[in-house]
Amino acid sequence: MARFRLLLLTEFKLFRATVPVHLIAILQPTLLFLLMGLVLVYPTFDMAVARPTTPEAAAHVEALVSAMRQVGSPIGLPYINPILVEAPVQGATRQIITVEDRDGAPTAVQRYGLIDSNLVKNFRNRLTAAGLRLWNGSLGRRGVLVEEHPWLPRDLPYTLYFGVALLPMTVCLAASLLGGVGTAMDFEFGAITEYRLAPLSPALILAARLVRLVLTALVSAGILLAAIGLSTGAWPQASPQLAALPLVAAILLPVAVTAGCLGIIAGLILRRTIPTFVVGLTASLGGWLLGDAFGLAAGFGGGYQAVSRLTPNAHAVELLFRPYYGVTVAAPASSALALTLFSGGMVLLTALAYRRAVIRPMGDHPRQRRSRR
Amino acid sequence: MDTSAIIVESVTHRFGKLVAVDNLSFGVDQGEIFGLLGPNGAGKTTAINLITGLLRRQHGAIKVMGFDPLTEPRQVRQLIGYVPQETNLYADLNAVDNLLHHAALYCADLKAAPGRIEALLRMMSLGERRSDPVRTYSGGMKRRLALARALLHEPQVIFFDEPTLGVDVQGRHMLWEHIKAQQAQGKTFIVSTNDMAEADALCERLVIIDHGRAIALDAPEQLKTALGRDIIELRTTPAVEDPAALFAGLGIGAITRTTADQLRIEVQDAEAIVGEFISRVTAIGHRPQHRLESVRIARPSLDDVFLHHTGRGLRE
Repeated sequence: MARFRLLLLTEFKLFRATVPVHLIAILQPTLLFLLMGLVLVYPTFDMAVARPTTPEAAAHVEALVSAMRQVGSPIGLPYINPILVEAPVQGATRQIITVEDRDGAPTAVQRYGLIDSNLVKNFRNRLTAAGLRLWNGSLGRRGVLVEEHPWLPRDLPYTLYFGVALLPMTVCLAASLLGGVGTAMDFEFGAITEYRLAPLSPALILAARLVRLVLTALVSAGILLAAIGLSTGAWPQASPQLAALPLVAAILLPVAVTAGCLGIIAGLILRRTIPTFVVGLTASLGGWLLGDAFGLAAGFGGGYQAVSRLTPNAHAVELLFRPYYGVTVAAPASSALALTLFSGGMVLLTALAYRRAVIRPMGDHPRQRRSRR
Repeated sequence: MDTSAIIVESVTHRFGKLVAVDNLSFGVDQGEIFGLLGPNGAGKTTAINLITGLLRRQHGAIKVMGFDPLTEPRQVRQLIGYVPQETNLYADLNAVDNLLHHAALYCADLKAAPGRIEALLRMMSLGERRSDPVRTYSGGMKRRLALARALLHEPQVIFFDEPTLGVDVQGRHMLWEHIKAQQAQGKTFIVSTNDMAEADALCERLVIIDHGRAIALDAPEQLKTALGRDIIELRTTPAVEDPAALFAGLGIGAITRTTADQLRIEVQDAEAIVGEFISRVTAIGHRPQHRLESVRIARPSLDDVFLHHTGRGLRE
């Protein structure tokens, strides 16, 4: 145990050789989340409504504004925050609704002045929902009935999902980059000879390296988790049996092991820092994009869903749904099994790759053996 | 009782078509400082890699303290220390951390490691710089630290590839003294070098390797004495066109034109014959008339030994 602790301590001390990589690996996902949080759609839109200029229009504007305030999630947040503004003198350069008289009928006219068609759609849909309330009010039993049945127990912003889906990517990035670059640097600077001639069991050496990668990855995830919680107010909730943070750590741990092994294997094969860095970065981003990055796989079609099963990210995101959203999605048992198999298989591959690249004498290649026969 | 530290028998290794080590055989006794001397690319590092087990040999047999590095690698690794040609210390760690890392990988007794680290740092005059990152060390300090690291787990055989590469004169002598001090404690050293002075200063015996082959093996003095020759170096203006004819009958050996105007001549007893050489070069009536610019008598060096066996200098 003392030997393992000493190995682990040295592994941590080696961060001094790769400070920039550490900063990127640990902080980049949190920065990404914070940046995206600034641009991602928030459920409640500010919608400008021009003040009435005539007493006749005042009643219609008041009714419209009241209807707009009723538009919202059936379980939570309002979708519209109506703001009364002065009517524009010239053409609209931003979104604004004016109540106008068209052949005796009060008409809500929305002008956009926008170039983002998706944003236009959001403004249009919200105004339509407000209008639907006014129509139903006047049509009575001939009104259009719209029923909404949310499947989540509470309303949560999309930024929360985005952040939760980033958690597996965070541990992947940290573990794969640091594992890969560290291993590649051992080859580049010749330190690998120390390992080649060491009488110590390779299993202990690899274990120390992996534990260090996992711990660093979990710290990185902790930073993102704090950013998510502080920006959205949402923190993982404890299940009846398991406390929240240990549960989240237990879900992310096999992801970190898988990614750490991938990084180490890349370092053992490529033996150069920059290509190994690129492999780790590509694998992390790829796993993120294919692993429920922007929504649960079931909402993106069968092909995407099938591919997402091949990533640890998708399984981790689905397991994280319970502590964050309070509902269970997909099949937790199979996701847990998948993560176990991913991590176990990668550990085995890493051991084989390490044996081939480090332990076995150089010049012991099958092609060379065949040529000697 | 077998006192061999290393036995290499008829070892051959090829990299594709290149024969890096060609039927190499030698033995090293325990407590000896043994040299592998040869030019760059001679096969010295390949030989070391084969002996340590870093490279799988293709033919021949190797024993290190009685163990085969291929079939008994763990036993061999516990007995050897290795200082590679390129110092592979962790530059961003300090001396203590580098040694602690080595201890975790190599030392059987971890509890004794801190004390041993302190002792080795004092021995290598690195105690005051123990907490500074290795990247701030001079070349000599790095080599001393690398030696300390190789000694940390108390190996019986230490391989030192180009010990003083990139080290200044003072550092070289310091390193040599440390190696000899360790030898006095019973350690066996295998030193790979292309530096004749280093081989002369350190090695009790050495094997000269060229193109992977052992071309000579003995103590340095014996190798030089075995030539049976002294060296006379003459520089004249103009250059002597036909030295064989000019010096005929004097019992000279090989004549080499080291530069356009300088001759290097092997003779039996230079002191007895140099006068006649000078007389013949400067004799009045010769056409063209030569002027003697310089004359030097030298005992054979290891470079001369190499030249004798291969026809070219060690550094050509």
